[in-house]
Amino acid sequence: MILIGENLNVMVKKIGQAIKDRDAKPIQGMAVAESEAGVDYIDINLGPAKKGGEELMEWMVKIVQEVVDLPLYLDTTNVKAIEAGLKVYVNKQGKAVVNSVMCRPERMDAQIPVVSRYDAGMVALLWGPEGLPRDAAERGVLATDILQRAVEAGVTGEDIWVDPIITPVNVQQNQLLECNQFMSELDMIAEVLAPGCRSTCGLSNVSNGAPDHLRPILNQTYMIMLERFGMRSCIVDAFDKDLHEVAHGKWPKITAVVNDVVDGNEIDMEGLDEEAKKYVKTARVLLGHSLYSDSWLEL
Amino acid sequence: MAFEEPTISYNGEIREISLGKEADVTVGGETCYPFYLFEGKMPHRPVIAMDVYDSEPEEWPESILAPFADVVDDPVAWAKKCVESYGAEMIALQLVSTDPNGLDTSPEQAVEVTKKVAAAINVPLIVWGVANPEKDRVVLKMVAEACSGENLILGPVEEDVYKAVGAAAIAYGHTIAASTPIDINLAKQLNILLGNLGVSDEKILTDPTVSSLGYGLEYCYSVMERIRLAALTQEDERLQFPILANMAKEVWKIKETKLSQEDDPLLGDQTKRGILLEAMTAQLFLLAGTDILVMRHPDAIQLVRDFVDDLATDN
Repeated sequence: MILIGENLNVMVKKIGQAIKDRDAKPIQGMAVAESEAGVDYIDINLGPAKKGGEELMEWMVKIVQEVVDLPLYLDTTNVKAIEAGLKVYVNKQGKAVVNSVMCRPERMDAQIPVVSRYDAGMVALLWGPEGLPRDAAERGVLATDILQRAVEAGVTGEDIWVDPIITPVNVQQNQLLECNQFMSELDMIAEVLAPGCRSTCGLSNVSNGAPDHLRPILNQTYMIMLERFGMRSCIVDAFDKDLHEVAHGKWPKITAVVNDVVDGNEIDMEGLDEEAKKYVKTARVLLGHSLYSDSWLEL
Repeated sequence: MAFEEPTISYNGEIREISLGKEADVTVGGETCYPFYLFEGKMPHRPVIAMDVYDSEPEEWPESILAPFADVVDDPVAWAKKCVESYGAEMIALQLVSTDPNGLDTSPEQAVEVTKKVAAAINVPLIVWGVANPEKDRVVLKMVAEACSGENLILGPVEEDVYKAVGAAAIAYGHTIAASTPIDINLAKQLNILLGNLGVSDEKILTDPTVSSLGYGLEYCYSVMERIRLAALTQEDERLQFPILANMAKEVWKIKETKLSQEDDPLLGDQTKRGILLEAMTAQLFLLAGTDILVMRHPDAIQLVRDFVDDLATDN
């Protein structure tokens, strides 16, 4: 699983202040720390960046590339700011990725040519003209549309990262099942339209709203499951050591038991230790076998 | 190929809960979707509780006041009339006067009214607070203690008050109506919490929150339907409780029941309109899985009884 560090975000207080002051040090410090923590990409999230976004993204890309060689995700809804970032970006260990292009005609028309012009990658965010797709089929329709447009514009499959949009399990459990369903179908769609196409997601959204102490197990279990469904990358907290271990196959026992649940294999609960049982219960909630409640581990 | 009827595989059933001091009424026990009598059992018909206010109602339209005009200033007489004249199977005493934003009457007064009403009737009694956690916590706790052994149904027991009211219900032998705001996950969670607190599974009803026809009923319907689905086909033990719908107060506060024919001639006869809105709202909730309806107008109640007769009779 490829990891994209999410910590260079204008919403993080320290980073937000540094951006305001144009103080490179904390930003570069964060970038170096993320790199040392072992992420594969660094996401630079400027939010809407309505005022002065172009100059800001240009500055951010430059100062981050002064200290790290990792490829960058450029994350803002300001289309011009993205382009300004791409202009100054230097490909050292990989292409920059535009995060993200929504499946709305006006966004695709504006952004896909830019991606192509600067030989960048792009996140194909499955957010359609009517907002969040209602089910797996609608995700399929949106994906088909954006993949087709991107490939026609000259973007290659492996430079496209489809984001199926993960919803919180506590309030949108059914939506999450549709997301799972779509992920298991994505390869089939991509094979025809954009061979080599990859995928990405905001993993922690799955646990948004769940009690804080229970968010890690939801994130970890869902990462294992997503990998089974074919997900190629996750945008995560760069400093979450457990998630790094999960992503790099260092939890073989837990991974195996979660995969058993995903594959529908019989689970011998009596034979499992307490830790493994928790992951089985969590996987069952994430698969919709049992209805979510904050106390799912106690049942 | 011969036609094969699709069948639903049920693997759960709703708990049977006895209500009232002498277990006078039993609800629940379903092994199939509402009125799917060709697929399972519905051993107890849904029951209708009639609304009684602890103080003279304000802002009720004349059309719903009329049947109770002689008793609205006396909760005891009102409750008796509901049982004796209208055949109420249960009474829902709404402690509206305790509302801190209204009359803010004392918990002691609520206790006194509740005791009197309980003594005057021989059917199970629902006692409903005002959904103000600070006040309900005190009022419902004191009512529980003063009416020890009456097996009242106490509500609304929301997450904010479940510990205090739940503990009192355990100590003094009452049943709880667990209330959550139109959300199946929260409904399940509150039932888990009540279980952890030690409330017996024989003492829990689910109140998933209801609204009137025309005012978001479809959301409430959908949540209720999903609760039944999880309970009956996904063996979700923490959702296998009978459902209570405290709906009359929702119907009789909407514009469509309050506007007179003079105000809006297109809406037609006000009384008939209100009765039909109440009856239709009730019928929809029955179809979604409600076991206990809280209703008001005797004519609406009769319509719903006829409806249940039709659906529950094997023909």
